[in-house]
Amino acid sequence: MARVNFKDTRKETRTLAGKPVPVVVTARFARRGRLAVFADGLKSLLSGMRLTFGYLARPSAIVTRQYPENRATLKLPERFRARLRLKFDEHGYQLCTACRLCERACPNASIRILTRPGTLSKNELDRYIWRLDSCVFCNACVQSCPFDALEMTGEFEHAVFDRRLLIFTLNRYAGPPAGVLLKEPDEAKRAAAMEPRDVYGGPVPLNGADLPSVKALAVRPQADPARQGAAPAPGVPA
Amino acid sequence: MTVTVKTLNDIIAPPGAAASALATEEYFINMGPQHPIAHGSLRLVVRLDGETVREVIPVPGYVHRGLEKMAEHLSWRQIIHLTDRMDYLSALMNNWAVARTIEQAAGLATNPRIETIRTLMAELQRLQSHVLWWGVLGMDLGAFTPFLYGFREREVIGEIFEETIGARLTMNYIQPGGLMDDIHPDFVRKTKQVLAYLKPKIDEYDTLLSGNVILQERLRNIGVLPAARAIALGCTGPVLRASGVPYDLRKCEPYGVYAQADFDVPVGAKGDCWDRYCVRIEEMRQSIRIVEQLIDGIPDGPHATVKFGARIKVPEGIHYGQIETARGILGVTIAADGKSDAPYRLRLRSPNFSNLWAVTELARGWRIADIIAIQSTLDLVVPDIDR
Repeated sequence: MARVNFKDTRKETRTLAGKPVPVVVTARFARRGRLAVFADGLKSLLSGMRLTFGYLARPSAIVTRQYPENRATLKLPERFRARLRLKFDEHGYQLCTACRLCERACPNASIRILTRPGTLSKNELDRYIWRLDSCVFCNACVQSCPFDALEMTGEFEHAVFDRRLLIFTLNRYAGPPAGVLLKEPDEAKRAAAMEPRDVYGGPVPLNGADLPSVKALAVRPQADPARQGAAPAPGVPA
Repeated sequence: MTVTVKTLNDIIAPPGAAASALATEEYFINMGPQHPIAHGSLRLVVRLDGETVREVIPVPGYVHRGLEKMAEHLSWRQIIHLTDRMDYLSALMNNWAVARTIEQAAGLATNPRIETIRTLMAELQRLQSHVLWWGVLGMDLGAFTPFLYGFREREVIGEIFEETIGARLTMNYIQPGGLMDDIHPDFVRKTKQVLAYLKPKIDEYDTLLSGNVILQERLRNIGVLPAARAIALGCTGPVLRASGVPYDLRKCEPYGVYAQADFDVPVGAKGDCWDRYCVRIEEMRQSIRIVEQLIDGIPDGPHATVKFGARIKVPEGIHYGQIETARGILGVTIAADGKSDAPYRLRLRSPNFSNLWAVTELARGWRIADIIAIQSTLDLVVPDIDR
């Protein structure tokens, strides 16, 4: 019999503002002699110790994730929101039509869309600029997109040594979306409508620009593994 | 009638008393803004006589980001993500409070599926929040092991959120007119697994910490908050209920599907630190009970009744809504002009701000070490105080 019996809760009904509320009154201390209190105290310390040492004896019951070591097997849920990505179809054509709905939905202006007059369509995407440094990962851009052209990926390791590397151009090429490109039968004309875009660079402050007293931005080719493979290779600044 | 506003300087150095202040034995100590027990940047100016606390003067404001002002420039949907950043341990409940107020004001209907999922998520997060509180309380009072155990359980619940919501802390999940995404196909199965895992763990908590004689002696009869004072100070949540007032919005003004669930409101007998501790432990058990009752009967239906792009029209006027977060009542007042897509003024009544001032009464006459027990059982989240 311990000093406090946690199962010793009292159920009753109280009235608050005329309404009955079922309550459970939590356990309090029983009045006990000094010697009993001392014995209980000692017992409580020992039973706590037994619990912790129990885990020491059964290491399998402990969940420890060896994070940097388990990178190869680490699997994040598919809905995990970490890095924004533009979707591309099987030809490597983007689905983004530069309608700017995501730009408007973004609560803190982390998305900036630059457009230009195009050859195949009146208006086409020039640069889709996403600022990871101010993004709050609220998913509003993905939700607002009527073309399902955006997705959040689980790529969560964002640390870099230069904050200019946190401002991305998400599109691989400046040009019309897949819907417009596929209407054009001539492959040469399609290719001509697409101008490669680099990951870093553009007119947004810090986006590829130099900082006073900071070395010029140097990006190793293939800095972004998501960009390898499909269609127009990005021109990467030296 | 004149109102004299006391500044911190007036309290510390009353006019004319400056010379004599040095001669007394009393002295001031800053606890914070950087202090291990202040879970965030909160400064407590403590007037001490030896080790006895004469007065505690909270100085909040170090994490003030002006969320209410920022909200005036954001649309109805965009303000939801700001509420994640107030009481980050009950982010979903904060989302819900604002979303529900907007829904009530704009007359948006939801469906039983949305409300059930919201209720389940809120209860899971209440569990998650209390589990972390339990661990941190242990650490504040000198026991490091509970901190690790608390985080272990928090992680298990966090994985459910991660799978459905895609985030661990800043959820932005509950939105006006629905949810961001439907629940993950695995949600029900995983939640049941977690509940089965958690139940024996809470008994383990009793063995490890609640039954511990050192903890008991540090909480018992310390910082008694009588019911009348708790009400007068505007305390809500477990702090109020520990003083014996069974005021829980989930019971008194049921929202979501709480009316369908059978649960009791844990109340304390005395209002001391021990009661605040026990009430939260009991709340965890009640939360498990609520989730168990609702998890099997999630009705079918769409996860949102309003399209994301649809314009939300909030009529002109002042609208108020409130829900019970893990720390008390979060009240949302929206003043809308009926024309623009943003609130004209947003006012958030955060539970922690009111609960914080209880420390000024509770700590008086106790020792420095008791401030830590008192502050820990008040369970303050500083960004919610400052907003």
